[in-house]
Amino acid sequence: MKLFSILSFICFFSANMQLHAQKIYGTRNAKISFVAPSDDDVKAVNNEVSSRLADNGAISFSLLIKGFKFGYAEMQDHFNNEYLESNKYPRADFKGTITNIKEVNFAKNGTYKVTVNGSLTLHGVAKNIAANGTITVNNGKISALAKFPIIMKDFKIEASAVTDKVNAEISAVYQ
Amino acid sequence: MKTWLKIVLILIGIGMISGGIVAYKIFTKPHRDVTAEKAVTLTAQGLYDAFRTNEANANQLYLDKAIELSGEVLEVSANQDGKTVVNFKTNDPLFVINCTFKTNPGELKTGSNITFKGICTGYIPDANVVINEGVLIK
Repeated sequence: MKLFSILSFICFFSANMQLHAQKIYGTRNAKISFVAPSDDDVKAVNNEVSSRLADNGAISFSLLIKGFKFGYAEMQDHFNNEYLESNKYPRADFKGTITNIKEVNFAKNGTYKVTVNGSLTLHGVAKNIAANGTITVNNGKISALAKFPIIMKDFKIEASAVTDKVNAEISAVYQ
Repeated sequence: MKTWLKIVLILIGIGMISGGIVAYKIFTKPHRDVTAEKAVTLTAQGLYDAFRTNEANANQLYLDKAIELSGEVLEVSANQDGKTVVNFKTNDPLFVINCTFKTNPGELKTGSNITFKGICTGYIPDANVVINEGVLIK
């Protein structure tokens, strides 16, 4: 009986080790910025994006809407109170996969082109999006960059007085 | 001058003035200055406990509010725009209070206790509570 419990203990731990063999990179201060294509003044940046990237291709981003800083305070108020309703929907989340992760060699320096597919939840609406980006490996330091458009009506954001879409760019330097 | 023309001109004038006022408001409204605001005083652990136990309630209490936070410095770093970021320690090794300074706080030591005042932007489960636009109090 004792032998059995020791064996099952060992089995349990080795199985656990297997599960945790994948490497996860993280940061709490990735940067996302966006700009309206029709008006350069409509732009904002958020430097407190939490992100995780696993070497099996799983990637996630979470950010707080109130963390977006605009050049103009009045625009920031409209963005929070009228368009994004950040008291009701304080967070945006993306969970996805890098579909060609096998082409990224985390042990070799270089910039690798990647495609990301996943679900973006914004303003209480979840929608699948795809984006092209890059992963850069530089002496063990991993960073990721992607650009993608966000269409306001896809996320039920009524901002037609300002813009129909914004171009977003996300940049993460992982630790 | 015909009366209807006068009315039209007056209306156009009113429109231009009110448009000007709106534009003036948009482009001149100052950003929040946290140093001038009365803050809610909390420890890093207290803020974490509030969000972990009841996020909706903590959002009501702290979201968008000025917070004066005391705690132990776990890490000091800089964000991609060169602003100083301090992570405050909590009793959960994976969870911190992530605080970004708007002004340079000078040298901060890991393991020291500091007080920071900033604006709480919310809670990211399994990661951190975010406070930004902050200044060093002591």
